[in-house]
Amino acid sequence: MASPCEVLIDTFDETLAKQLTSIAAEEAWRIENKFSRYNNSNIIHHIHTAQGEPVEVDDEFCELLNFADQCYKLSDGLFDITSGILREIWKFDGSSNIPSRKQAKAYLKRIGWDEVRWQAPFLTLPKGMEIDLGGFGKEYAVDSAAKNVADQSSAAFLINFGGDIYANKPPKEQDSWRIGLEKNDALGKANSILELASGAVATSGDTRRYLEKSGIRFPHVLNPKTAWPVMRAPSSVTVVADNCTSAGFLATMAMLKGKHADEFLAAQNVRYSLQT
Amino acid sequence: MKNFKNLSVALAGATACLSGVANVSAAETLDKNDFGNWDIKSAILFYNESDRVQAIEPVITATKQIDTDEFLSFKLVVDSLTGASASGAVPSTEAQTFSTPSGNDSYTTPANETPLDPTFFDTRYALSASWVKPISRFTKLTLGSNFSNEFDYLSLSSSALLAHDINNRNTTLSIGVSAAFDTIDTVGGIPVAFGRQLPEGQEQPRQGEEDDKAVIDVVLGVTQVLSKDSLLVFNYSFSQADGYLTDPYKVISVVDAASAKPIETLYENRPDNRTKHAVYTQYKRNFSGNILDASYRYSTDDFGIDSNTVDLRFKYRLNEQSFLKPHIRFYSQSEADFYTPFFVDGSQPLANNSSSFATADYRLGEFTSTTIGLEYGRDNVRRPWSVALEYYVQSGDEPDNTFGQLANQELYPDVDAVMLRINFDY
Amino acid sequence: MNRKNILTLVMLVTLSACASTPVQPWEKGVLANPDMAPESSPLTSSLDDHIYFSKEGTSGGRGFAGGGCGCN
Repeated sequence: MASPCEVLIDTFDETLAKQLTSIAAEEAWRIENKFSRYNNSNIIHHIHTAQGEPVEVDDEFCELLNFADQCYKLSDGLFDITSGILREIWKFDGSSNIPSRKQAKAYLKRIGWDEVRWQAPFLTLPKGMEIDLGGFGKEYAVDSAAKNVADQSSAAFLINFGGDIYANKPPKEQDSWRIGLEKNDALGKANSILELASGAVATSGDTRRYLEKSGIRFPHVLNPKTAWPVMRAPSSVTVVADNCTSAGFLATMAMLKGKHADEFLAAQNVRYSLQT
Repeated sequence: MKNFKNLSVALAGATACLSGVANVSAAETLDKNDFGNWDIKSAILFYNESDRVQAIEPVITATKQIDTDEFLSFKLVVDSLTGASASGAVPSTEAQTFSTPSGNDSYTTPANETPLDPTFFDTRYALSASWVKPISRFTKLTLGSNFSNEFDYLSLSSSALLAHDINNRNTTLSIGVSAAFDTIDTVGGIPVAFGRQLPEGQEQPRQGEEDDKAVIDVVLGVTQVLSKDSLLVFNYSFSQADGYLTDPYKVISVVDAASAKPIETLYENRPDNRTKHAVYTQYKRNFSGNILDASYRYSTDDFGIDSNTVDLRFKYRLNEQSFLKPHIRFYSQSEADFYTPFFVDGSQPLANNSSSFATADYRLGEFTSTTIGLEYGRDNVRRPWSVALEYYVQSGDEPDNTFGQLANQELYPDVDAVMLRINFDY
Repeated sequence: MNRKNILTLVMLVTLSACASTPVQPWEKGVLANPDMAPESSPLTSSLDDHIYFSKEGTSGGRGFAGGGCGCN
């Protein structure tokens, strides 16, 4: 996941704190190893090298693919786990390497969840296509780790995997956890405080990852229907929801809505914070 | 304006199918950008001196976090005093009659008792505000202002404190400046230095209605983290007061050179400036949840008062949510250069001689005081509270220059007080 | 104690502080406890300071000595 992860536990019991932290860490590593596309022995690698043949997946993967399927439908095709392949032409390294419209169009043939045959537990991925669970993998890891921790202890805790957060309940002497939201341009200075009694927070958007050409900034959010960045998207969106997976989905959706992000979030009846 | 569907129900359905997702509890729906609530703390102190002053002092503070490391807070104190206070006059084998500060009334002190002014009552209201603001990653500015009013006294002050972290945030350097301006509007007017107190109804020797003083304080501090469970604070402070520093309600007895019986009562007079230097060190250490808080203060000033204060508290944790905190404090001071418990007739300065200084106020004499207390509290709970009971005793040595009837009187009686303090956080 | 002695005390304290090994940010869990703040119960301190201000000849030291009350 390549980002700092932390677990905060409200307890005086050091042994318990260490135990819960390692439970969360183990879960994070398990999910990382299982679903990372950089691992050459996991199920993702197996699917990508199946050459159009069906692959049987386990229960957890079934659930995640069902969820991805729901997300695709809820978002009218904007949230698509087959769009990760666009990283081959869009490298958001701050450079001015913009692919041509023609190059981008060529990739559209290799994107589209509706092209995938998903009949649990069998997934058939057409040749040349890929799936990438990065769109909600980290958020899912937060939720899953939280569930494992909550199974072991009733202490108040907060899990933070690189800004994706879940808290089960407030610390004993406080009404809520206080989460500093990072300002984009300042040196790590939090510019607002989010009070979270329980629930999850997820942020989409990374201002350090973009491309720029002829004074036009191409943000790191790609529309799978055009293979082109969503121009005028907010620079970051933070959403509070019941669980981290939902919060992450709504944050990503808001980014994909571009200049309509604020209106989209306002309709969702959730707490959010948006930076342009 | 596009109309967007609310996806929450559909999304809740979708995530409910994920067995790895903990739908433990719902996030409260609050207004967007609703960051930070007011944090309210309160305390009330009941102070009871045997036969003397009683005070009730409630205080409430409200603090709001307005940004990371940025806080705004307000504090209101009401301080209600009743009872009697030592006037400075000496006891006598005969009953003595004194005029009240207003000059319109009188009170009589029975024979062989310390004269106490029974008109000592007052209610003080103080409001203060402070704003803590980070001005860079390692520097924090605290601005404060304070307003305090009682029927004969008004005080206004402002302060600024700059704290800078260095050394991996293991050392904090601070510098603070405070300026206060106080106005004293004495009942009956400001007495003439060493003016003679006249019987009730007569024109007392006065030199005006009100006077004022200004106090400048400078504090330089270092807070050093010593280890992962201990820290040390070191402060040097300087205080300069200029203006009316006399207590207009305190008097000095003039006693007969042979019998030592009081023959007249004079108003006291103190210098009009005072420079103080103090060093303060504090050591805090956490012994697996139990916290030692030890401090020492040395202060010296050009009134001639040097003092030493040692304060020890130990927060002993009974369990995760309750604690006991014993407290002990020792204080000793030397007397002011111009302290005199009485004048022998013939040695008193003339009225209006404002270049002579004298006070019989026992608080400027030499004495030691001890406080012992115990606090019980509940913390790590939603609404922390605590109750503390403290006993305070002040005792000074009898002056060695007594004679006549004074040799049999108690000029420096012990003063003791019981304090009950209740703290409650909302 | 005269001025020179104060200076000696300042230097002693500073030296003893320098002698300790620096504490790393991740070792500050205990110090982060509000109870470990130098001024951990400001309300209690202000009530105490007010009592001692009105009963004794010295005030201040921890913070500003100030004035603010006709009780001394």
